[in-house]
Amino acid sequence: MHDLVVIDPVTRIEGHAKITIALDDAGEVADARFHVTEFRGFEEFCRGRPVWEMPSLTARTCGICPVSHLLASAKTGDAIMGVQIPPTAVKLRRIANLGQIIQSHALSFFHLSAPDLLLGMDSDPAARNVFGLMASEPELARRGIRLRSFGQSVIEAIAGRKVHSPGIVPGGIASPMTPETRDRLRENLAEARETAGDALVLFTGMLDRFDREVRAFGSFPSLHMGLANDAGTWEHYDGHLRIVDADGAVVVEGVVADDYRTILGEAGRHDSYLKSPYFKPRVTPGDDPAAGTYRVGPLARLNVCTTMGVPAGDAALAEFRERAGGVANSSFFYHYARLIEILSATEHMQRLLDDPEITDQKVRATAGINRRQAVGASEAPRGTLFHEYTVDGNGILTDVNMIIATGQNNLAMNATVLQIAREWIEGPSIPEGILNRVEAGIRAFDPCLSCSTHAIGQMPLVIDLVGPDGETLCRVRRD
Amino acid sequence: MAVQSPLTRKPTLAVFKFASCDGCQLSLLDAEDELLAVAEVVDIANFLEASREVRPGPYDVTLVEGSITTPHDAARIRRVREESKFLVTIGACATAGGIQALRNWKDVNEFTAFVYANSEYIETLDRSTPVSFHVPVDFELRGCPISKTQLLEVVTAFLQGRRPNIPTYSVCVECKHRGTTCVMVAHGTPCLGPVTQAGCGAICPAYNRGCYGCFGPMEEPNTAALSAWWKSLGVDDRGLVDAYRGFNAWAAAFREASDRHEAAITVRGASA
Repeated sequence: MHDLVVIDPVTRIEGHAKITIALDDAGEVADARFHVTEFRGFEEFCRGRPVWEMPSLTARTCGICPVSHLLASAKTGDAIMGVQIPPTAVKLRRIANLGQIIQSHALSFFHLSAPDLLLGMDSDPAARNVFGLMASEPELARRGIRLRSFGQSVIEAIAGRKVHSPGIVPGGIASPMTPETRDRLRENLAEARETAGDALVLFTGMLDRFDREVRAFGSFPSLHMGLANDAGTWEHYDGHLRIVDADGAVVVEGVVADDYRTILGEAGRHDSYLKSPYFKPRVTPGDDPAAGTYRVGPLARLNVCTTMGVPAGDAALAEFRERAGGVANSSFFYHYARLIEILSATEHMQRLLDDPEITDQKVRATAGINRRQAVGASEAPRGTLFHEYTVDGNGILTDVNMIIATGQNNLAMNATVLQIAREWIEGPSIPEGILNRVEAGIRAFDPCLSCSTHAIGQMPLVIDLVGPDGETLCRVRRD
Repeated sequence: MAVQSPLTRKPTLAVFKFASCDGCQLSLLDAEDELLAVAEVVDIANFLEASREVRPGPYDVTLVEGSITTPHDAARIRRVREESKFLVTIGACATAGGIQALRNWKDVNEFTAFVYANSEYIETLDRSTPVSFHVPVDFELRGCPISKTQLLEVVTAFLQGRRPNIPTYSVCVECKHRGTTCVMVAHGTPCLGPVTQAGCGAICPAYNRGCYGCFGPMEEPNTAALSAWWKSLGVDDRGLVDAYRGFNAWAAAFREASDRHEAAITVRGASA
């Protein structure tokens, strides 16, 4: 393989995903990179701020999955206070995270990916969006919008607001749940569950049509990481880190979030704001971190767990494994995994809402600063999220590190782009239609970037084809 | 003779994103049922097509999310302005510089070096600034995130050719409407409500928290009076700096108040 691709900094464009495809001397695709260049600097400006306000500050990292940051941050805060939060607070946080998984996955599937999947990757881009879906599949689009809306309403009910909710705080939850709220959520849950089940049937029914995508959209062996409880059950809030390899062998289990550095390293690439975490034991220091590529998110969570912990979810998991032939190593199956998670989330939520303790008034523990350093982890819709804070005696942050899900999938996304490039590109030009394929390949990961979140439009994208001497041979772009 | 009124054709709506979390433009998607109605009456041109080369402006109404943080974006917002008849900035990033404006008090080079090992490729302006620092803005819709109801009001007002009816009074008024007991008076909880613009529905006090200023300063806020009150509750200058430096840190009233308290720390530090 040829040397690293050199990117001219002048060409970087904030808020755009940028892809560089490098050719070798023979004109064959040698390497491909997915870069993100938006810079906001959270880790720096959080230093000097009190730990109490970290959930609210870090939630602003992302408007798609702010609950993930609220939870990881609040859990870090709990640990710094050294408290075990009230059981009802744990349950309410769990419900909020399930609501978040439902709304975020529904957004990914119905608003972002269903237009590609149902209308066709080569259909008119002007109609290949949620509005086009409303025109051609009005019932499905309506149900998808309502499903996402249900997930959002759960978050609002527990934490006060759909986006950047104030109700999740270090020590627990700011306000208990009323019986009226519980009853309302329970009432609406049945429809959400039905929509999830029907979407799953729809998706598996058309899976055969996507043979080439299953094969070429990021299908490669890698490690998979997610939280799981001690019995190996699917987790999203508590539990320990678990890693399986491409054949399903357990590589790591029972690692607590505090010890994440023993298994994960972080490589900062010179050409992207996105850091690239990798599995440390598989990478010799100084070498390319690609050997330590692991995937996180719905696909990985379904690969690492032994059971979803709920009946309909388990039935779906069994079929998923059968179709994947064991461990699902095709990134196209992220879509599939997302739908199974929505279904399972509705079942888990039902259990929690049926729990008589759920309206208990004790939802917040209070304490001062009892530890100077802690790590909080939770499963964001897109994968494991870590917050790590070091504080002084007054709870003022002196150091912050955040490891986001999309960063952890960075190496896998590079491998996906490379695979798609090799499948579609021959010679020194970029063929028509490649933008759609690359977009759809990356979108399978549902990366939480400005590019993927232009929810109703297409992903703004720049693709550069770079020769062996670093010269840009060809560029295609879509703003 | 038939006169073509501006509303005989579907007005075009465009959405542009700069540095932000996307939460505000997602409010458009949260408009569930209203989304279908909006799609019927406006042609969501740029959000749909997302390609200026193919679908150039002018747009009748443009929503801009996010702050300006790179030279590229500073040029891009000028082009957006040229293509837009009615430009509305949405959210704390676009109207005040957002949470990322906290870097405006720091050295940006030190910043990028701290977060990224190889920072020479990070091209960024030394400040995160609101859109109105760069181009004229027709209406600023506050909030972190914005309120869906207020966004629909702005779009509807535009379609009806009137001024949006967005209150500029404080969060306190919303607590009264909601029947929430004042957390500062009753529980001694520091609250930014008295100087913060309404719009959220006064969520935090209803959730046993003080307001933390998501909607930015109200019209003519009395920050000096509020600061004095906070001090009587035991909050020091450092705490006040942090309180005013949130998502709307770079909004003039909050910026000035925070600078005042920071100066007080420095003076005390020097005399100590």
